[in-house]
Amino acid sequence: MRGLTLSLIAAGALVAALPRAAHATPCDQIPGLTNPVYLQVGDTQLALMKRLGRAMRDNAARPVSMIFTTSGSCTNIRAIYDRTPIAAGTNVQYVPSIAENPTWDPATSPTLTCQVPVGGKVPDVANSALFNSACTTETPPPAVHHTQGPIQAYVMAAPKASSQVAITFEEAYFTFGFGMAGMASPWVDETQLFIRTVTKSTLLAWAANIGVPADKWKGVRRDGSSMVVADLEPSTSPEKAIGILGAEVYDSRRNTLKSLAFQAKGQYAAYWPDSTPSSFDKKNVRDGHYTVWSPTIWMDTEPAGQPVSPDARYVINLIAGHTVTPAPGFDMTAVVAAVGLTPACAMAVTRSFEGGPLSRYAPPESCVCKYESLVDQSNCRTCGPSNACSTGVCRNGFCEVQ
Amino acid sequence: MTTRALLMVLSLAFAAACGDDAADRPKDAGIDAPTTPDAGCFENPQTHAEIINACTTAQKVFKKPNLPLLQADGSLPSLPP
Repeated sequence: MRGLTLSLIAAGALVAALPRAAHATPCDQIPGLTNPVYLQVGDTQLALMKRLGRAMRDNAARPVSMIFTTSGSCTNIRAIYDRTPIAAGTNVQYVPSIAENPTWDPATSPTLTCQVPVGGKVPDVANSALFNSACTTETPPPAVHHTQGPIQAYVMAAPKASSQVAITFEEAYFTFGFGMAGMASPWVDETQLFIRTVTKSTLLAWAANIGVPADKWKGVRRDGSSMVVADLEPSTSPEKAIGILGAEVYDSRRNTLKSLAFQAKGQYAAYWPDSTPSSFDKKNVRDGHYTVWSPTIWMDTEPAGQPVSPDARYVINLIAGHTVTPAPGFDMTAVVAAVGLTPACAMAVTRSFEGGPLSRYAPPESCVCKYESLVDQSNCRTCGPSNACSTGVCRNGFCEVQ
Repeated sequence: MTTRALLMVLSLAFAAACGDDAADRPKDAGIDAPTTPDAGCFENPQTHAEIINACTTAQKVFKKPNLPLLQADGSLPSLPP
């Protein structure tokens, strides 16, 4: 079932990445777009926007229309710190409700498009897919509220035809810091190094992990993840081709791409984000064997201690795994797991800045068992009203550690 | 060899298999089986170096690339301007 789902995702991912843009109507003139929340997010979060957007349109207890645009994390931070509006007339994306299109599939169907209304719109929510300090060290405006969300992993990807299996910290340093002069065979052709522009979390996260500042990287800089995918897949030099992607982007393209295991500085072996190249459990992200990950940061505005948009805060709290009222009519952990992110409550390690050292972490309300039941199989005991846990806490039907 | 001596030798062997010194790295190369914990790993990791080298059943790759620009002491040269 998982394979079928991913095949469908892979088949539709590129199409899905492109919104239908012709003759867009102003968003505020589209019937049914109730309780709109405007979000400016990293393009690694597109899959989350589509899947959660669909669920929120149909969330009977509290329906919200998520209207979103994608941009670099650093750009998004600036937008909410400086209150920079998305310009009027800009095409932004949203997804249909079940009533509007019952067959729409978040994995394969394209988003719909509307235009930002007259006057523009400061995003209600801005997202960075890494620590904000990797973009700016300035003190955030006091009115901006920060919430840490799920964990985003990043990978080095190569065409499926490549025979390469792993890349070490030192190889990555020479490949992307020196280019051809680095002589890190086979990655010595700078036209086959597909990277991102300097505002993008994918580049900044990797930069912090291999010790090559983002503006020093050698290679072909691309604005979007889909462009890197489009570079890698048809490469006529698969052995020399390598690119950087969000893990969830790679996960949807596993039929045409491969990810390389990464050996961090001081590490004895290289590991994939998942426990094997074919699994989806993010085990090595969760336990610290795979180091290239960042928390997602979600920002909204609360100038006087109360959020300007309660609907925006509701969405953010859901993404972060917080308890919300009213409870949603869907399983948010399943949404997060389905788009390749890892809930913070399933992590066993943490860090305090981009690429920083890992330390052990025990989430206050663990969801390890629940998460593993979604992405692999849980070895935890199940529990319920008539089946108490002998140790730990019964949560979501599993005996969690705490 | 007495039992006591044998235990001492085994203890020293296990002790030598632990630690974060580069000399403790596994010497073989290639992809390990996904269910075999690695030698020289940490059972109860506390620090960053121990966490990234903790014992695991995850599949791993041992790689020793040939990097001509790596300095003799194993350090990295500065990036070009």
